[in-house]
Formats: sequence, structure tokens, C-alpha cells
Amino acid sequence: MKYVDEYRDPALARGLAAEIHSLVRPGEPVRVMEVCGGHTHAIYRHGLEELLPPEIELVHGPGCPVCVIPMGRVDDAIALAETDGVTLATFGDMLRVPGGRGSLLEAKARGADVRMVYSPLDALALAAQEPERHVCFFAIGFETTAPATAVTLLRARAAETPNFSVFCNHVLIEPPLRAILETPGLRVDAFVGPGHVSSVIGTDAYRFIPEEYGRPVVVSAFEPVDLLQSIAMLLRQRAEGRCEVENQYTRVVRREGNRRAVAAIAETMEPREDFEWRGLGVLPLSALRVRNAFAAFDAERLFTLPGARVEDPKACRCGDVLTGQIKPWECGVFGTACTPERPLGTCMVSSEGACAAFFSYGRLRRPREEAPVGG
Amino acid sequence: MTPSPERCPTCADEAVAACVRSVEGLEAVIVVDQDTERVAIDLVPDARPGDVLLCHAGIALERLESTP
Repeated sequence: MKYVDEYRDPALARGLAAEIHSLVRPGEPVRVMEVCGGHTHAIYRHGLEELLPPEIELVHGPGCPVCVIPMGRVDDAIALAETDGVTLATFGDMLRVPGGRGSLLEAKARGADVRMVYSPLDALALAAQEPERHVCFFAIGFETTAPATAVTLLRARAAETPNFSVFCNHVLIEPPLRAILETPGLRVDAFVGPGHVSSVIGTDAYRFIPEEYGRPVVVSAFEPVDLLQSIAMLLRQRAEGRCEVENQYTRVVRREGNRRAVAAIAETMEPREDFEWRGLGVLPLSALRVRNAFAAFDAERLFTLPGARVEDPKACRCGDVLTGQIKPWECGVFGTACTPERPLGTCMVSSEGACAAFFSYGRLRRPREEAPVGG
Repeated sequence: MTPSPERCPTCADEAVAACVRSVEGLEAVIVVDQDTERVAIDLVPDARPGDVLLCHAGIALERLESTP
């Protein structure tokens, strides 16, 4: 398949792996954080860690949109779904995320009208098909997904759809990166930047990382050759004494991003004062809410939500996994009390979550190491 | 868009490049895994048949360069 096969070429991958081996300095470790959950998934799925020298340690970042949603927001969505006359529509992964009151799938089993959609536009179409219901779209995701919600809000206003709203939980990529970079004792030497987020916001959005924190960034696509090339580019920067933002994903990502998409987001949504993230706590200006001009489509204004903060289960160490402080297999409940079939934490729910990716692809290749639980 | 093992239904962060078969207003028919699907092209309004689009959550985010 075009745009896939050429980026899975074994000969190209072997050549890049050899270059990476030649660029590391023996005994000098380099910790590379892949920010995006899609990269984490690809690394485990294709066994890329096995091609790397031991000096390279890949650290999984916070870029899985499902994994960072706090339990309290899931409870809010369940409350919406259980409201008379409301149909709650959302992406498939969100249905299984556990909140304090169970998951949306469990709410559906109790009788709530919960539907899975692949696009917020599908939820808007549902509202047109079922005018007797109020259809609320539970919106999650980084800047990759926010444009779809923005286009949907613009179309809902144009069509004057009276029975549609958005429960907005879109998050932004810069605040968690700053939070990670400012975490005391956390050592990350370089970043593989997210690919599809960058197709929207552009590569310039990451200039603060080399300029303020002295770490190089390479925005990367998602195939094995892409990721190996990105790691080689980061090592080349180190070898040549450079520290900048580079773009490996040139077939899609531009320096300025997609200005239409950025404008659509800005027209329909605005930054919240703060937002709670799993593992990172409350971060200022880190998420979006629906703008006043679209208040008629804002579920948070149309409905009263519990808005409670719910503590994560003590045994679950998703927070430490999301900030790169432990590996998935170092969590005491990984693969035992927490599996993809019965997830305890969000990192085990989404296929992009580090725990689910490692459970599916990586665990058979690595003996499990013991680590203290809850620390 | 229909999920497949190649991509996540949450944010499609696998390579999802789809060729445009036809365009009608702000909707394009794209070819994905030999099936056809419709995506909104509000953010890539000049998309034309033959273009390859990066598609996610029912909309096209960007046009891919013609040569990888």
C-alpha cells in the first residue's frame, strides 16, 4: 500500500539501525521520549526497541488522548448519558475507560443510550435523524481531533441543529510537555514529536523545547522506517552539536501546520483556565472549552454535571507511566489485575496506551521485572 | 471511518493516507482498504480526485505530498 510499504522496508530499517548504532557513544545513555501514543503503539508492534543499541532508552510520553482523561470527566459523561432524552455519542475507546462509577459501556448495559461513532459529524447526523433525542458528543483528543469537533460545531450552527451539543474535553500538547520538562529529577534528552498533531499545529509549535529547555525535537511519522529515521536525526543533532526542531514527516507536516484547522479551532473553542490530567494533575490553559458564540451547543452550559474530582485507584500507576517514570511492566497490577479485557487504568484501555501496547506486543519478549506497587 | 487493526478509532495515529475518488461540495469519497468512505474536506477545500489526504475522525486534515 502506498505511503505504508515503503516505510516498512526491512533493508531501509536495517540501514537506519546501523546508523543509530554508529551514532551512540558507548556507555552514554540517551533517553528519548516519544510523545505520541501512536508512536508507542508502533514501537511495540514492530519491535523497534530490539533494533536499538542498549544506550537508547525509549520513554513513553503523555500523548494518548484516552489515557489522560481523568475519572471525574468519565463520570460527567455517564451522568449525561443517564439524563432523560439524551443520547451520548463518543469514540469506541472511551466506552471502556473506567470512571468512579464504572464505564460508559456499563452505563449502556444499565439502559443509558450510549452510541459509538467514528466522527463527531456522525453524532451530528444522528441528531438530525433522531430529532426527539438530544445527541451529545463526548469530545476527547489533542489538536489532531479538535478540528473535527470544530468543523462539526460550525456545521451544527449553520444547520441550526437544536438537539446537538458537545461535551468538550479536548486537550493541548504544549502544557503537558512543559510539565514533563519541569518535573524534578526527570531526565529526557530528546523528543520524538507527534506527527498528526503537528499536521494541525505545525513544527514551529515545538520551538520552545530547544529554545527554553535545550532538548532537540524531531517530528515523526508512524511507520518503522519513519521512527528509526527520527531517532537517527536526533542522534545526528547531538553528534553535530545542534539542538533544534526538525521535521521527519515532511510528506504531511508543514512548519506552519494547517491554518484552516487552527482557525476553525480558535473560532469554536477557547482555552480553559485549567484542566485535570491523569498523572500530571491540574495544568493551566491545557484544554479547550466551547466558546460563548457556540453556547447553544455546549453540554456544560446546557446540563448540570457532577464535576467531581475522582482519585485514581491506588494500585494503578498510569500517572507514572504517562510521565515516563516507570515502564508499563513495572506497575504491580500490569497483566494481572489490569489487562485489556478488564482495564484498571486508562493506559490499558486504548490501543495507543503504553500498557496496552506492551501487553499486546512487547511482553513476550521481555521478562517481567518486579517493582514496588504504589510508590 | 471504519476501524481496522492498522489504526486506532480514537485518533487514527497510524498512517492513514486515503486517495480521493470524487469530490462533491465539501465532501470527498476516499478509498480506504479497497472500501469507499466519505470525509469532510472543510479544512482541505481544494482537494481533487487523485489527491492523497490524511484523514481522521471523518475529516481530511491535510494533503500528502505527491511523492513520498
